[in-house]
Amino acid sequence: RTRRGDLNTDLRLGLSIVSPDAQKDNWIGPSVSKQREQRQDWPPIKSLLRTTLAVAGKADTNVHNVHNNDNSDRRRTSLFVKVYMEGVPIGRKLDLLTLHNYDDLISTLAHMFTTSITCPNGDRADHAKSLHVLTYEDREGDWMMVGDVPWEMFMTTVKRLKITRADRC
Amino acid sequence: MNYFPDEVIDHVFDFVTSNRDRNVISLVCKSWYRIERLSRQRVFIGNCYAISPERLIARFPGVRSLTLKGKPHFADFNLVPPDWGGFVYPWIDALARSKVNLEELRLKRMVVTDDGLELISRSFVNFKSLVLVSCEGFTTDGLAAIAANCRFLRELDLQENEVEDHRGQWLNCFPDSCTSLVSLNFACLKGDINLAALERLVARSPYLKSLRLSRAVPLDTLQKILVRAPQLVDLGVGSFVHDPDSETYNKLVTAIEKCKSMRSLSGFLEVSAYCLPAIYPICSGLTSLNLSYAPGIPGSELTKLIRHCRKLQRLWILDCIGDKGLGVVASSCKELQELRVFPSDPYGVGNAAVTEEGLVAISRGCPKLNSLLYFCQQMTNAALKIVAQNCPNFIRFRLCILEPTKPDSSTNQPLDEGFGAIVQSCKGVRRLSLSGLLTDQVFNYIGTFAEQLEMLSIAFAGDNDKGMLYVLNGCKKIRKLEIRDCPFGNIALLTDVGKYETMRSLWMSSCDITLGGCKTLAKKMPRLNVEIINENNEMEDCIDDEQKVERMYLYRTLVGPRKDAPEHVWTL
Repeated sequence: RTRRGDLNTDLRLGLSIVSPDAQKDNWIGPSVSKQREQRQDWPPIKSLLRTTLAVAGKADTNVHNVHNNDNSDRRRTSLFVKVYMEGVPIGRKLDLLTLHNYDDLISTLAHMFTTSITCPNGDRADHAKSLHVLTYEDREGDWMMVGDVPWEMFMTTVKRLKITRADRC
Repeated sequence: MNYFPDEVIDHVFDFVTSNRDRNVISLVCKSWYRIERLSRQRVFIGNCYAISPERLIARFPGVRSLTLKGKPHFADFNLVPPDWGGFVYPWIDALARSKVNLEELRLKRMVVTDDGLELISRSFVNFKSLVLVSCEGFTTDGLAAIAANCRFLRELDLQENEVEDHRGQWLNCFPDSCTSLVSLNFACLKGDINLAALERLVARSPYLKSLRLSRAVPLDTLQKILVRAPQLVDLGVGSFVHDPDSETYNKLVTAIEKCKSMRSLSGFLEVSAYCLPAIYPICSGLTSLNLSYAPGIPGSELTKLIRHCRKLQRLWILDCIGDKGLGVVASSCKELQELRVFPSDPYGVGNAAVTEEGLVAISRGCPKLNSLLYFCQQMTNAALKIVAQNCPNFIRFRLCILEPTKPDSSTNQPLDEGFGAIVQSCKGVRRLSLSGLLTDQVFNYIGTFAEQLEMLSIAFAGDNDKGMLYVLNGCKKIRKLEIRDCPFGNIALLTDVGKYETMRSLWMSSCDITLGGCKTLAKKMPRLNVEIINENNEMEDCIDDEQKVERMYLYRTLVGPRKDAPEHVWTL
């Protein structure tokens, strides 16, 4: 029995089917079949919706993680952004999904770059004389001070981070 | 036969607006046919290849509004190669040459070009309304032509099209004298928008009732627009991200509160949950809510929002709302008629999906439900029986279990009995989509009970030819049948060939029909176009009749094989 057409072949592989009659028996499931990731014809949703969901899956997951406390199953495993420190040409990369709030962010970066960083929210009297402040580039391309907006909103708009000298701000 | 002068009959026919009724009227006698055809203004053509533009114009010279559909439905899911067909240019050209007074053009799944759009804009002086659904092939340059030249444009509605963005200033092309806009929908556009031009356009459109924005329109522009257009009835929000403590946000809240006529909300293509409370004041008046393109709203926020929407009749949503969220819908939205739940995570098996529980809750809480599209993780026969009992009024029932051939999750049985219960209880069901593990028995039920069924979509179902034959023999009113990945072969295809002339179309892909079978069918039925659709890189030298056909699309037609098919699409 010959079959033509990549779509159909992909489906059969995705189903791990060896014979056409076994179509009902051998469906293994999406967690096992990687082929399924590339499927463009199942489930039957319009292309525009498919691409919208794919883009969203890459960017906005942390919003879900904060609000759905019972959802321990992350759909995306990372949200890496570049981090530069002023005066240092080589940057680092940080996975924001490993952090839960601004405090986490500041302490992780302070550790990464061995410096002290100020963040506008909260009282940080002891950090009043920090060497650096943390800024970020948002979706509109503007450079903003980190800490003014709620953490979840920050997550949806941050593109990259920069640790600038405190005397510059 | 005629006791009255033609003018009187003509006047009486004015009151007959439905095309089906008009079609029946024209069969009564020759003079009624003549009077009807000269007075017909709205024409609907469900398959652009069933008839030619010349014959349309010959029969209905007074046509003012034309609806055309092109590609088969499964083209939405990438099952049809992109250059298959459905070109609208020849239609526009013919209508322009014949000087038809076209005012409205509604297209679905067709290929539209910038040339075509420009031709429309230059040829039809009274052109008022352009509605494009799931079309492709044009750019913002074509939109610019429409904007610039259609002096009395009322409606420009772009729904889910693939539009190439040329970063032109198409919105600028609406002249200052254009003040007639009632409906503008450009939500599917991906490029930047000239925000100032948009604001000016809204400011000079006092009749504007429906406005759907693209993602490129930020919240502060939305605020300014709403101040200018508090009379809006239908709003599609583009970007809804802002600092909720800002002055802009407060101004937005004030502006929204003044939109007392708002009945329909959609979009939120980019959204921060913190901003959602701004829309709570208008929720109580909403009858339609479409959040299927808003994956940025988590389930908990969706639930909070919906509690405010007690008058909702139509709800389109993502499955991150969860079963519990659907429970809230069931208790809040007693007027609900149409529900669509889309998969937010199409490839994964996350917690986001809904199950049979959510559907049962809806059926218990929403007695007026008549239209359903439900993508779910799992389903049971018991649940479907409860749903059938609670909601006997279904007109459209489409269920998609994300994993094909999945059985009843509690009994491991096929879902035949569940769907059987649906068709038995819902005597008016016109559209049905099946999924899950299904044997021929479900088709027996459908053939026996689904007397009003017009459209049926089947995937990964059935045991052998009997299944398809139950449907072809039993469903007297079936018009569209689309089948993929089912073990139906030549016997099913060829047993009742006359049936296909009573239908609009049949689609079969990845089934067991062979080239020989299709050739036999084509030979017996000259008034059908039987198309074999290959991918364009699949040209084989040896064409064997025993070979299984990947994709076959057949449809009745009065104009024979089409001349615009690409090389890899064969009309037998």
